[in-house]
Amino acid sequence: MKEQTSIPTGKVERASKFVATGLKVGTNYLKHYTKKLIDPATTRDELHADNAEDIYDALSGLKGSALKVAQMLSMDKGMLPKAYTERFAMSQYSAPPLSGPLVVNTFLKTLGKSPAQLYDKFEMQASNAASIGQVHKAVKDGNELAVKIQYPGVANSVKSDLRLVKPFAIRIVGMNEVDMDKYFDEIEGKLLEETDYKLELRRSMEVSAQCAHIPNLVFPGYYPGLSSDRIITMDWLQGYHLKEFLQRDPSQEARDKIGQALWDFYQYQVHVLRKVHADPHPGNFLMRDDGTVGVFDFGCIKEIPGDFYVNYFLLTNREVLKDEARRREIYTQLEMIHPTDTEKEITFFSELFQKMIDMLTLPFRREQFDFGDESYFNEIYAYMDYLYNLKEVRESKVARGSRHSLYVNRTYFGLYSILSDLKAKVITSEQLYQLDQHGMPMRDAYERTIPANRDGL
Amino acid sequence: MDKQLIRTAYIKYWLENGKRPISVFAFCQQLETPESGFYELYSSFDAVEKDIWRSFFEETIEKLKEDDTYRNYSAREKLLAFYFLWVQQLRENRSYILLQKEKYLVPPMHLDRLEAFRIAFYEYIRELIKEAYTTGEVKERKFISDQYVHGFWLQALFVLQYWVKDDSDRFEMTDAAIEKAVNLSFQLISSNTLDSILDFGKFVFARK
Repeated sequence: MKEQTSIPTGKVERASKFVATGLKVGTNYLKHYTKKLIDPATTRDELHADNAEDIYDALSGLKGSALKVAQMLSMDKGMLPKAYTERFAMSQYSAPPLSGPLVVNTFLKTLGKSPAQLYDKFEMQASNAASIGQVHKAVKDGNELAVKIQYPGVANSVKSDLRLVKPFAIRIVGMNEVDMDKYFDEIEGKLLEETDYKLELRRSMEVSAQCAHIPNLVFPGYYPGLSSDRIITMDWLQGYHLKEFLQRDPSQEARDKIGQALWDFYQYQVHVLRKVHADPHPGNFLMRDDGTVGVFDFGCIKEIPGDFYVNYFLLTNREVLKDEARRREIYTQLEMIHPTDTEKEITFFSELFQKMIDMLTLPFRREQFDFGDESYFNEIYAYMDYLYNLKEVRESKVARGSRHSLYVNRTYFGLYSILSDLKAKVITSEQLYQLDQHGMPMRDAYERTIPANRDGL
Repeated sequence: MDKQLIRTAYIKYWLENGKRPISVFAFCQQLETPESGFYELYSSFDAVEKDIWRSFFEETIEKLKEDDTYRNYSAREKLLAFYFLWVQQLRENRSYILLQKEKYLVPPMHLDRLEAFRIAFYEYIRELIKEAYTTGEVKERKFISDQYVHGFWLQALFVLQYWVKDDSDRFEMTDAAIEKAVNLSFQLISSNTLDSILDFGKFVFARK
């Protein structure tokens, strides 16, 4: 391949000459999600305090996929012991940003042209971090663009990173090996998907088109011609990430609008598309003062299999719940109870899971829900903690909960966290997602109630 | 008959036969040139091999010199740009290099074959380090500074070895290794190093 050599000066701004200055690339979502956690029992605290130091140190050396796994597992279990969360909260995970030459190299290797050849202006210094890469601002034909570039070698590292984090997952989260294998397969698959930017581009364009009708959601335009499997280019969206947005003291109206948009977006994906943007953390959304919210980063999309969906949501149907036999059948389908369980175990775990589902789906069963309600979340965390401290759960010889629940729970958990921070009041009307007795959503009802157009956006 | 032609023909012979020609005479017969023509330019096949390694390096440097962006880079960025381009250059001759592997990866051997390359590389690095003093990227430390070149040479060997064993798509892992190795080395000779050491160590450790 003929190497491009001369680049007109002035187009490419100089990056900093020193390594790791300025931008601290990395995610800090553990901090975000764990800040609300409450104290577990004292003895457990003491036990974990000793371990926390070295586990934290080891974990902080694990970037990228290993870190994501720890994140995911902590979210699925609902919490980390407090000693850990405090340590994590104090840190920021950072990997040095890609050097200028490496950025140029990635362009040349995957697009055949350098940034200077493709753009009128390209900022060599990244403006922010993405989960496995960084984002640069560029200008082409007067339009501001966001160019996301992946770190080289990430896909290759996924397997080895996961192997490294497994022992820690077992120690920290208290998961046993049986659970591990099941979940790790799911996680590995998803992480590898995330490294395929061509896939992400396709999905982004699809989901954007399909959800365009939802009010107050803004999707950037995507540019396939300027993208490759390591680079994604899209419109530059204005807005603030959750934390900065909240610091601007937004109006309740704006909060409610954004909360509603996110709620509608997720419900539409879950119930109609059966495909969710499965990583609802603050980094994926840009919130604006006028109450609109930009959405991007479709790297992690979870497809919800039909049978899982039906079973999962049937458990929110009062009629179904009254039918004992039916309930058991569903619990078995969802792998919450097993044919090998004793009667005592069946009763025990059924109650456990039902209580959890009842709590998580409370917003669905109201007309409207105030996500600023602290007592609701405290109740959830308290219950989760109680749950995972239970001898019976920790010593369970079989893994409970189908692998799909990992992502679906994570999705709802993530969404609720954001809505809670926003203190948004959202119309969560059950009507829209009502299931008939076969467990099928009454989609038509849903589609009719959402306004068909969003002018001005 | 010029050096470039001999080098190209020599590489071609290796690619097709998996070993060097039986004699200079036989090689020259193939090229339809008298033996004396060869000896005017090279004293032996060993000399040709050394020059081939040097040429990989020189061709990279030539291309870099023409690049405006390269000229504006810091010393660290120049070195990064060099490595990325160098492995691209090597890539075009990967089969030849792999065939030659035993010759230069076994420690006593490599010093011999890579000698001409090493001399040229040292010169390049010395210039780069001098430049780095002026930009402030590198501290001039009496007596120790003289050793920097050796460190960078070892780094070049590391990159070479890594690339030879790399079977990732588009040699992406080599790119990552280059980035981490160069960042580490510059940090070592400036100030704060701990993050890079861990990053690099984990990277190499976790490679399998």
